[in-house]
Amino acid sequence: MLGIDSCLAEVMAIPGALDAMLVDHTSGMAVAFSNDSGVDADRSAAALTEALRATTDGLARTCPGDVVRVDDMLVTTDKGHHLLRLLETVFEGPLVLYVRLDLERSNIALARHRLQSISSRLTT
Amino acid sequence: MTQLDALLSSLARERSTGALRIGRNGTIFLADGRVTYMECSQTPGVERLLSARGVLSETKLRSLQAEEGGCDRLLAEGAVTPGELQYAVLGVVLDAAFFLLPVTGSRPKFRPGERHWLGGQWYFDVAGLVRECARRRAQLAEAWPSADMDTLPVRPVTRLPGHGVTLNRIQWEVLVRADGKATPVELARQIGRPCYPVLLAVRRLAAAGLLELPEPPPERRTGRRATAPEAEQKLPKRAARRPAPAPRADTAGASSLGPATTGDPTDLALLMRLKKALEELS
Repeated sequence: MLGIDSCLAEVMAIPGALDAMLVDHTSGMAVAFSNDSGVDADRSAAALTEALRATTDGLARTCPGDVVRVDDMLVTTDKGHHLLRLLETVFEGPLVLYVRLDLERSNIALARHRLQSISSRLTT
Repeated sequence: MTQLDALLSSLARERSTGALRIGRNGTIFLADGRVTYMECSQTPGVERLLSARGVLSETKLRSLQAEEGGCDRLLAEGAVTPGELQYAVLGVVLDAAFFLLPVTGSRPKFRPGERHWLGGQWYFDVAGLVRECARRRAQLAEAWPSADMDTLPVRPVTRLPGHGVTLNRIQWEVLVRADGKATPVELARQIGRPCYPVLLAVRRLAAAGLLELPEPPPERRTGRRATAPEAEQKLPKRAARRPAPAPRADTAGASSLGPATTGDPTDLALLMRLKKALEELS
C-alpha cells in the first residue's frame, strides 16, 4: 500500500532511472515529479498526455472493432528509454507513471516488471 | 487577482488553520496556511466519487466522517490505498478550485480551527492552485474557444458528419447520458466524475462537430465539420455578446487576452505572474 511520494521514490529506485513523474492523464497535470532541476514538469506532463492521447487514437484506428486499453508504452531514443504505465484508480484516471531510463544502465524487462509491481501496490 | 485569491493569500501568509466559507458556493479548508481541502456546491466531493464507484456506501462514509480518526480507519480498512486517496483529494480540490476561485459577490466567512476529515492528504499552496486553474482554463480554450458549451445542455448531432470517429471514455459516457437537457455539470454528477474532465470532453466533442451548436451560423449548414479558423472567428463574438455567468467569466477573459485565441498556457502563466508581481509592488 503506497502513497504518492513513496511510489515515486520506488520508481526512482529502479536501476537506471533518471527521472520519474506521476501525471493526471485527464487534465495533463504533473501530480508529482522526482527532481526540480532542468525539466519543466508541467510542460512535459502536458506533452506526455498529448502523446498518449495520440497513441490511443492511432491504435483505435489500427485495430477497428477493438476497444483500446493501453497498459504501458515504451519509447526508445538514442539517449534512453521512456516508459509509461497507465493505472486505473478508484478516482478519475488513468494516472500515468512515467520513468526515463538510462540507455546503458537500465534493463527494460526489469523496469517493466518493477513498474507493474509498484502499480499493484498503489491501487486496490 | 480576484478578491478571493487575495483573501486566501493573506490567510496563507498568516499560516491560518480553519475553514473559509464562501456563501453557498463552497468551503475552503486550510491548515497552517496551506489548502487541505475544498468543497464546492457544483462539483462532486471525494465521498460522492467513492460512493459512485461503489467503493463504500454513503452511510458507511457518513459514519466514518462523523467519528474521530475516520480517515485513518478508511485507509486501515483497505478499500483505498493512501496513494489513491491522495490522488482523489488532489483531483477533487483542483476541480472545486476551478469553479470556486473565480466566485465573486458572496462575503467569505472564516472559522478558525475547523478541519475537514479528509484534510491532511495533500497540501496545496494558493499560488499553485491559481496557476493550475489558469492552465486548465487555457486548456479548455485551446480545445474549443467558446465557453457557451459549458453551461448549455449537451445535444449530440443525430448524424455523424463523416464516416468514423474515435472517442475517449469520458466522451463516450457524455454521449450516452446526453438527453438534450442535461448541462455538462449535471452530466458530471450523473456519471460520477469530476466536472472539469467532462467540460473538456464536451469542448472536444464540439470541436469535432459532434454537438449541436447554439444558433449555428448559416455556413455551418453544409453538414461538414466546422473548421478551426472559422470557429475561432465566429465564436468569441457570440460569447462576448451574452453575459457569461460568474464562474465562466474568467474563461472568456482568458481566451481574449491575446490577439488570437490559441490560449498558450505558458503565455497565460507568464501574464498571471506578471500581473501578480505588479499588484504586489503597488
